[in-house]
Amino acid sequence: MAKTILIVDDSASIRQVVGMTLKNAGYEVIEGVDGKDALTKLDGRKVHLIISDVNMPNMDGITFVKNVKQMPAYKFTPVIMLTTEAGDGKKGEGQAAGAKAWVVKPFQPAQMLTAVSKLILP
Amino acid sequence: MSSASAENLYRILPLEGSLSIYSATEHMGLLLQVLAPDAEVELDLSAIDELDCAGLQLLVLAKQEAGRIGCHLRLSNHSPAVIEAFELSGLGTFFGDPILIKPASE
Amino acid sequence: MDMDEVLKTFIAESQELLLQMEDALLQLEHTPGDADTINAIFRAAHTIKGSAGLFGLDLIVAFTHIAESVLDRVRSNELQFNAELTALFLQVGDHLARLIALVDAGADLNTLEVEVQATHETLSEQLSYYLAPATAAKPVASQPTRIERGNASGLSADHWHLSLRFGPDTLRNGMDPLGLFRYLNTFGRIVSIVPLLDRLPSAAEMDPETCYLGFEIAFASDADKATIDGTFEFVREDSLIRILPPHSKSDEYLELIRTLPEEDMRLGEILMRCGTLTAAELQEVLLAQVEGQQRDEAQPIGQVLMEQSLVQAPVIAAALQKQQQIKDNRSNENSLIRVDANKLDKLIDLVGELIIAGAGARMTAKNCGHSEMLEATELLSRLVEEVRDSALPLRMVQIGATFNRFQRVVRDVSKEIGKDISLSISGGETELDKSVVERMGDPLTHLVRNAMDHGIESLQTRQANGKPAQGNVCLNACHDGGNIIIEVTDDGGGLDPQRILAKARERGLVSDSQTLTEQEIFNLIFEPGFSTADQVSNLSGRGVGMDVVKRNISALRGTIELSSTLGQGTRVRIRLPLTLAIIDGFLVNVGQAGYVIPLEQVEECIELHSDSAITRGHLELHGQMLPVVRLRELFDDDSTPPRRESVVVVQQGGLRAGLVVDQLVGEFQTVIKPLGKVFAACRVLGGFTILGDGSVALILDIPRLLTQLAAPRSAVPFETKQSYAHE
Repeated sequence: MAKTILIVDDSASIRQVVGMTLKNAGYEVIEGVDGKDALTKLDGRKVHLIISDVNMPNMDGITFVKNVKQMPAYKFTPVIMLTTEAGDGKKGEGQAAGAKAWVVKPFQPAQMLTAVSKLILP
Repeated sequence: MSSASAENLYRILPLEGSLSIYSATEHMGLLLQVLAPDAEVELDLSAIDELDCAGLQLLVLAKQEAGRIGCHLRLSNHSPAVIEAFELSGLGTFFGDPILIKPASE
Repeated sequence: MDMDEVLKTFIAESQELLLQMEDALLQLEHTPGDADTINAIFRAAHTIKGSAGLFGLDLIVAFTHIAESVLDRVRSNELQFNAELTALFLQVGDHLARLIALVDAGADLNTLEVEVQATHETLSEQLSYYLAPATAAKPVASQPTRIERGNASGLSADHWHLSLRFGPDTLRNGMDPLGLFRYLNTFGRIVSIVPLLDRLPSAAEMDPETCYLGFEIAFASDADKATIDGTFEFVREDSLIRILPPHSKSDEYLELIRTLPEEDMRLGEILMRCGTLTAAELQEVLLAQVEGQQRDEAQPIGQVLMEQSLVQAPVIAAALQKQQQIKDNRSNENSLIRVDANKLDKLIDLVGELIIAGAGARMTAKNCGHSEMLEATELLSRLVEEVRDSALPLRMVQIGATFNRFQRVVRDVSKEIGKDISLSISGGETELDKSVVERMGDPLTHLVRNAMDHGIESLQTRQANGKPAQGNVCLNACHDGGNIIIEVTDDGGGLDPQRILAKARERGLVSDSQTLTEQEIFNLIFEPGFSTADQVSNLSGRGVGMDVVKRNISALRGTIELSSTLGQGTRVRIRLPLTLAIIDGFLVNVGQAGYVIPLEQVEECIELHSDSAITRGHLELHGQMLPVVRLRELFDDDSTPPRRESVVVVQQGGLRAGLVVDQLVGEFQTVIKPLGKVFAACRVLGGFTILGDGSVALILDIPRLLTQLAAPRSAVPFETKQSYAHE
């Protein structure tokens, strides 16, 4: 049973590259273009890990994570936040919202795979 | 000598699905409920397909609590997920129950 | 899907984002400072940077990173978008579009055409000017867990030893230690693992979502320490993670044993069970342990980690000291937090309210004459004062970042006006209130430009006068009592007092009969509509005069003065209060009204025996004539003056005056609240405050009052009735 990962980012190229990398590694991947979209994509599905960007239109990553963490089905789902060096303050906010893991943008696909592997293997 | 009824003397509690942080609170209640002085309780783990550290902690708690109140707790029919978690955590020997080793999957 | 296809997505996406960025930049000219618009610009840069990283387009990553950092400062209000910055970002957008077009065409970004490369460097450099030194391209280095390096004399173990005590929230955060072990097994092998269940409580106290587990692990791997250490990066914050490499030395194991929370003997056995230590080695380690303990018997091992004392056995003293240092560093880093400036403002506001409430309580206690109550309120006041003293520094920031921005200004302006001018900066570490720093940007810009444009002479003139070819402008800051002094100095031609006076007469600012001191003449520069430049240059054409600078400074309750030596240079000195929020004030009464004079400007108080002591608006004091103002008349108070009045002598920047008041009340802390626009015309009020009994007192703006008293008659927008009578 493959582990399912939700990737939320408003950049299509990031979603595609991350999605491709994770699928090749044996994970199942769902994509969301922003916080709002991701919430509808979740829809009670079993998800083992969420990867979310911070700065997105409609619903930003912090709000999204706060929302997700209030849903019983995802209360303990690990979240990897995509942060930037410039946005270290956001890292704190993300952590407070419940995202305890992070990957610093920009990242290489392999770095993302490593971070994911630390939390779940496929 | 105990005068407990036969029903009290031997209980089998089948656990199934996920024994993880999501169900930890629920499972803790269930496990503590099934323990009783002088009883013999068997946790059937054959249908556990997910076991994380929260689940492992609960099993440890149940074992220690059982010892405290004089209940015999046994774990049986370890599923592959349980065996993997026990091996990974080094907790297998703690419970001391015989684990049926299937062909190694490492 | 393959990488090429995704690259197409990236290119299309970036092009779209750049268009959005351009729209937003243009939009910003109409709605400057709009957070959503700024965020849109930020997001464009941010997304392009993130995506470019995936494709290894390092040049674009580095470039957008600088841009993003500048934008981040704009978002955090450290920087504002102005025409200059907007123009720069439009160029940045164009350049990015070009780079992306090159990627689309399959070009190699590492070998750019000369022209593109030049643009790239220029823009990068220009962007860097907007970065404070602290934020400039700082690589994020994660703090590694301490890892001891074993060497020749190490013990036999040829595997890594990991000691893990997971934090209580580990599981709740979605981190499963089992997942970490699985990951470890992807690049090594867990040789043996011993779970530690000591922290697991009884059923009654158990929170099933809390993690109570610890593990001692022997781990065989060829991986480097960074990889092993990195495994725990997401749980490190609230967990205790210790990693010893293969063949560590015995004292390193001893130290490990001592820093772990469990009992020493047990840990020793566990290390043996793991195969990390042999029985003989354990013996050796524990022996050293005993020796150590004889010297320091009271050391509670369980708490060693957080409160390691430095008195230890010599064997391990050095190691421990190192550990202590690392701990100190880490706690320093952890002790820095970023706080929303608004929250601080709110806190300062509350402290202000607290001071008012405290004053009220004290006043009530005084009126009751209840001595214990009075004592209690005294204590309270003292504590509130301490709270104030600790709260105010929270808003302090160094002025250096603001100063450094001028490197760019000086560079650009020198080019523009064809003068070779350098900028020197001193006192950048001087701290002052954040809101003061923010509002100093414009006045300083003007002063610096002024110094460059009008101050520094042309090359020919300098050489003719035997001065170095390169002109120098200096920005300096320092503390002076409760004030901060900021100076803009140039080594230019200086000001000619006679020329200024002539000009002032020509403009009708000064009457022909008036004689002015040199200082007074220099101060004319700050009068509205005054300019000494014979030629109107591009810079002075920007429409900001020295009067505006002065108004800006006055709005900050500061003063500005100019000194100059002909042929040698000019110095403009700005004196600012450290903070805007709270001052020590001196309360006086006139009729029913209370007025507050900032205490630092009060020189002395004297009794006014009779009205006749004042002649022609002056009072003889210590053999000198002191101009006096009756507050009663200044504020059109119709009440009858009491038989006996007092004079408060105020001084600031060499100017003195006496204020005639009914009654001296005394010193107290005042929270400055801004006056509404209605009072904007009343130039001598700096704000108001609420007294302990709930009544309102007006705060006098002494510097302004003094300058208006000292200024030539015609330039004074208001006068006391008495003075009018003498004209």
